[in-house]
Amino acid sequence: MPAPWRPNMADTLTIEQSGNATVQDLGRSGAARHGLPVNGALDQYSARVANVLCGNDEHAPLVEITALDFAATPSADVLVAVTGAPADLTVGGVRHPRWEPVAVRRGETIRVTGIHRGLRVYLAVYGSVQAETLLGSCAPDTILGFGRSLRPGDDLALATHCPSIDHPVFRHPLFRMRPPVPRFGEPWTIDVTDGPELAEFGESAHRLVAENFTVTPRSNHIGLRLQGTVPQRVAHGEVLSRGVPVGAVEVPAGDELLVLHRGRGVTAGYPVLAVVTTASLSSLGQTRPGDTIRFRRRTVAEAVATHRAERTTIRALEGRVAAVFESLRLPVHTGRCARDRRRTASDRH
Amino acid sequence: MDERIVIQDCGDSAVIVTAVEGDAERRWEVVHALATAIEEYDAVPTYDSLLVEFDCATTDHEAVRDIVRAAADRLPSAPVQRASRRFVVPVVYGGEHGPDLPLVAEQLGLTEREVVERHSGTPLTVRCLGAPAGAPMMDGPPFPKPVPRLASPRTNVPPGSVAVAGRQAVISPMPSPGGWPLLGRTPLRVLDLDRLAPYRPGDRFQFVPIEPDQWDDHAGTLAAEHG
Repeated sequence: MPAPWRPNMADTLTIEQSGNATVQDLGRSGAARHGLPVNGALDQYSARVANVLCGNDEHAPLVEITALDFAATPSADVLVAVTGAPADLTVGGVRHPRWEPVAVRRGETIRVTGIHRGLRVYLAVYGSVQAETLLGSCAPDTILGFGRSLRPGDDLALATHCPSIDHPVFRHPLFRMRPPVPRFGEPWTIDVTDGPELAEFGESAHRLVAENFTVTPRSNHIGLRLQGTVPQRVAHGEVLSRGVPVGAVEVPAGDELLVLHRGRGVTAGYPVLAVVTTASLSSLGQTRPGDTIRFRRRTVAEAVATHRAERTTIRALEGRVAAVFESLRLPVHTGRCARDRRRTASDRH
Repeated sequence: MDERIVIQDCGDSAVIVTAVEGDAERRWEVVHALATAIEEYDAVPTYDSLLVEFDCATTDHEAVRDIVRAAADRLPSAPVQRASRRFVVPVVYGGEHGPDLPLVAEQLGLTEREVVERHSGTPLTVRCLGAPAGAPMMDGPPFPKPVPRLASPRTNVPPGSVAVAGRQAVISPMPSPGGWPLLGRTPLRVLDLDRLAPYRPGDRFQFVPIEPDQWDDHAGTLAAEHG
């Protein structure tokens, strides 16, 4: 990495209104061996796209804004991208498109308000923000007590100085990167594949795909609790604790579904009825309490194909962004995190 | 040597490997040796199973199955002697620190004292690091039967809580929700952000009963004997 542009005067993003926001990335891969959850952005697709739209590595730290209004002001000209659930994005009071790069001049306030038909919005900044890491990731771990919610007055240091974008061309809606935008809001269709213990639920297993389920308020990044006519386990006996994947669908107490998400403990002692597909985990991470969910059964091969198609889409977007940024002489930072994610001096371990 | 293990799909990005050959000790050895052998993947080895996680955009279930099977074929047929360290863990049993001790005693048909004696009578072997937060998951004490999980899990279990369920035992390192009956609590800090789990599978925990008024005398950090 070249020497910082201005080593003693890092550009910052000052949080004006924090709502419920944290600095996130795609998660702590490799942490499972330490018995720790992967964590990371609950809508991985939106997080990846936000970073890619800024020319960042998709693993770069970015801001995850959950449910509540958010505002922040950069100390220098920057490029940002806002993705995720539908919301109003304004910069200096002017509305701007989401899911596209947006040029922001120093001192202009970026506001995300009125999040609806989903729960989480992602704000990426050109060059990314700096964040402390644990095992190579800045993703908060609420059980370990790592990471914290942003507060008004916090200054996030920007990792890279953005080349000047004070040029007339940037003041117009310049970019048309057109990443595919998922459908947000009810009815949510969540794809699942059969779990290894599906047979333990006998005939009642089909209720998972036949019935509607409602997201309860006791849902979070660790797991979503869903009400409905739940399948009942017919087998008996205690299950020895074993590793469970993100997306595992369990029926712990017999009266509600528990769908594990990225903050899940790595082991559990309940049979796994089904597993939410990687692609659908992003949608599941956007569901709000009270929302209705319908599960749809898929084969593993179909789920893998969907995931690969999504990655191909993101790679294609990376290519378009690189071509456009190059023509504007904006360096891109794709691939940087693969190197940075190896232990860095700032990592706690 | 495919008969040693069974591999099942577990969603689009994981397989679960179950060791099926030999006794519980051997199955545990097999899944932990496999986890070590496939270091390039995220792996969660527990008692007799191993969850292997991967990115299905860059590999697939069949390729991972092949790698796991090849690793299984290379495993030595005799157990590998592992260095086992001993940790001494003072515990205040019962009362506010172990609110489920009476319930567990009743379920097992033992007195509370007998439950404590069995829990602290012999060292318990750490079998894996699990939820929450890399907790040491151990073989349970020699109880006459499995201990049922609580019908209604607690929303907040204090750090250092010593719990049992089924035929397993655990210490919760961090405040977290939990459905395992609580027998007691240690004043020791089990782990923190600057020092993740100091123990590893195969280590042994010797629990030692202490009185509530000795809590402060035993406060400190969990560490293996003889450094």
